[in-house]
Amino acid sequence: MIYTKKHPALLIMGIIFIAFAYMADAGLLGGLIGYLKSSKYVGEMVAMGYAFGALGVIVGSWHMFGKHDEGNLDYYLSTIAGAFFILIVAMSIRWYLAPWIAVLSKAMGPVMGAKYLHQVMGLNYIVLGILAGIFIVNVPGIPKWAENGVRLSRLGLKTGVILLGTLYSLGELASLGKLSAVMVGFFVLGSVAMVLWLGKRRDIPNSMGGVLAAGMGVCGVSAAVATAPVVQAKAVEIAYTIGTILIWGVGCMFLFPIVGHLLDLGYIQFGAWAGTGILNSAQVAGAALAYQPDGIETLKVAEIFNITRVLFLPIIVLWLALWYVRREENAATEQVNVGKVIIEKFPIFVLGFILMFVLSSTGVFAPAQHYKGKYFDNDISADKMLTAEQMATLTAEAPKLQRSDRQDALASLIANRKIMTIDEETALRGVYNAKILSKDANKVLKSATKVVRHTAPMIGKFRQWITLLFAFGLTGLGMQITFSAMKQAGGQPLVIGGIVGTTKAVLSLIVILMFVKETI
Amino acid sequence: MTEEQNNSQDTDPQEDAGTSFDRGSTLSIFQSDRAEDFLALAFALAIAAGVYFLV
Repeated sequence: MIYTKKHPALLIMGIIFIAFAYMADAGLLGGLIGYLKSSKYVGEMVAMGYAFGALGVIVGSWHMFGKHDEGNLDYYLSTIAGAFFILIVAMSIRWYLAPWIAVLSKAMGPVMGAKYLHQVMGLNYIVLGILAGIFIVNVPGIPKWAENGVRLSRLGLKTGVILLGTLYSLGELASLGKLSAVMVGFFVLGSVAMVLWLGKRRDIPNSMGGVLAAGMGVCGVSAAVATAPVVQAKAVEIAYTIGTILIWGVGCMFLFPIVGHLLDLGYIQFGAWAGTGILNSAQVAGAALAYQPDGIETLKVAEIFNITRVLFLPIIVLWLALWYVRREENAATEQVNVGKVIIEKFPIFVLGFILMFVLSSTGVFAPAQHYKGKYFDNDISADKMLTAEQMATLTAEAPKLQRSDRQDALASLIANRKIMTIDEETALRGVYNAKILSKDANKVLKSATKVVRHTAPMIGKFRQWITLLFAFGLTGLGMQITFSAMKQAGGQPLVIGGIVGTTKAVLSLIVILMFVKETI
Repeated sequence: MTEEQNNSQDTDPQEDAGTSFDRGSTLSIFQSDRAEDFLALAFALAIAAGVYFLV
C-alpha cells in the first residue's frame, strides 16, 4: 500500500505558514493582532511559521512531484500532511479564534468575580480544538491525504505529558502541608475506586471506566491522556472524560462560592475545598478568585491542593494498569503477576514524566523550589529597592489597612525597602488586588512584588512546548471522534461523573469543616 | 500475555467510519504502544536538551 497522495495540500499549507510568518514579522498583521490582543503569540507565529513552512514546502514538493514507492519512507513522510492539517487548525484556533472569543467575552464584562464568560465556560484553545476536530471529522470529513498523519496526535499528547513533569518540583511537594497530601490522596484514591465501582454496576466498558476514573480522581486532560493507552481507551472516551470534568467544573464554579459564603468558610478552608472538589485547574482558580476577589490567600491554598493531585498521576496509572489486566485480560481466572504487568504495561511516557519531574527537582531548569517556573528571590540590586518617595507614599497610606498580616507585611517592606519573605509577598499581592490603597501606592506595591517574583525562562519555554503539543494532540483527538462513536458511549459517563463529583464535594466539605482550621 | 495483547493499537474507534490502515491502527501510526512511548520520550528529551542548551 502506498500512503503518499499526489496532492498539493501540504505544499500549499507550507506556503501559508511562511506567508503568515512573514506578515507577522513585517507587522502587516498589526491591526488584527492589536484587536485580538494576541501580541504575545507573534514570536511563535514567526518562528513556527518559518520552520514549519520550510518543512511543508520541502516535503510537500516531494509529495507532489516525487516518486513514491511502498516502504518506510512513503509511510512516515506521508504523515506530515496530516500533521500539518492538525497544526493549521490548532494554530488558527490558538492564534486567532480563541483570542477573538476572549475579546467578545471581555466586552460583555466579568460574570463571576474577576472572571469572564469564556474563562468560566472553559472556552480555551484546548476545548475549541477538540470541538473543531469533532466538527471536521463529522461534517466535511478528514481529507484522504491527511488521514495517515491524523494518527500522530497521540504521539504529540504523550510528548506533552512527559514535558509536564518539568513544571513541578520535589521542593514544592516537600513544602506542602501534611493535611493536603493526606486529604488529596484519600479523595483521589476514593474517587478512582468509586468510578470503577459505579462503572461496573452501570455496565460501562472497562476502557471508559478506567479513563473516567483517572480524570475524576486526578485532573482532566493530563490524567485522561496518560491513562488512555493503559486501559485501551478510545478517543471518544477521552473526550467524554474531559467534557464531564469541564461541565462538572462549570457548575462547581458557581455553587462552591455560594455554599462557602453560606457556611462562612475561612480562606484556607475554602481553598482546600475547591482544590479537592473541583478538577480542572482553571476552574479551581476561578472558584477561588470568585470566593476571594480581594486577595490571593484562597487561590494559593487551592493551587497547593491542585498540584498535590497531579503528583498522584503515576500511582493512578499503575493502579489502573493492574485493574485493567485483571478485569479485561485475565478475567479473574488467572493470578495476576504484578511485576510482569508493571514491566509490560506501565507506559514509558509516564516514566518520562517522572524523569522530567526529578530533573526539574534538581534545579536544572529553575531553582529547585519553583512552582510552574515561578520562584521567590529577594536578592535584588539597590536600584530595584524602594525609593524614599515610594516609602513615603506607602507610609502615608498604611493606616488604611485593617488586617494585621497586611499591616506587618507593609511595615516590613517600608523598613527593609524590599519584600523579605514569600508570605509578605502573598499578603501584599492581596492588598493591591483588593484595591484598598490609592493608585500610586498600588503601583509601588506591584513593582515591589514584581522584582522579587521571578519566572525561569526555561520553564516558560517548556510551557510553550506543552501548550503547542496539547493543542496539536487534542485537535487531532477531536478528529477521531465520530457522532456514531459518541452515540455508542451514551450519557453514562456524565451520570457517573456527577455522582462521584457530588459525593467527593460533600465528603471533602465535611472533612474540611471538621479538621481544617486557618492553618495547614 | 502475548505481544499482541499488550497493545492498545488493536483499538479501532473508527471501524464504522470505514477507515483502515495496513500498518498501526486508526489511533496511531505505530505497531505498538511501546514504540510510540519511546519516540515520545526521545522527542521530549530532544526538546529538553534544546531548551537547556539554547535558552
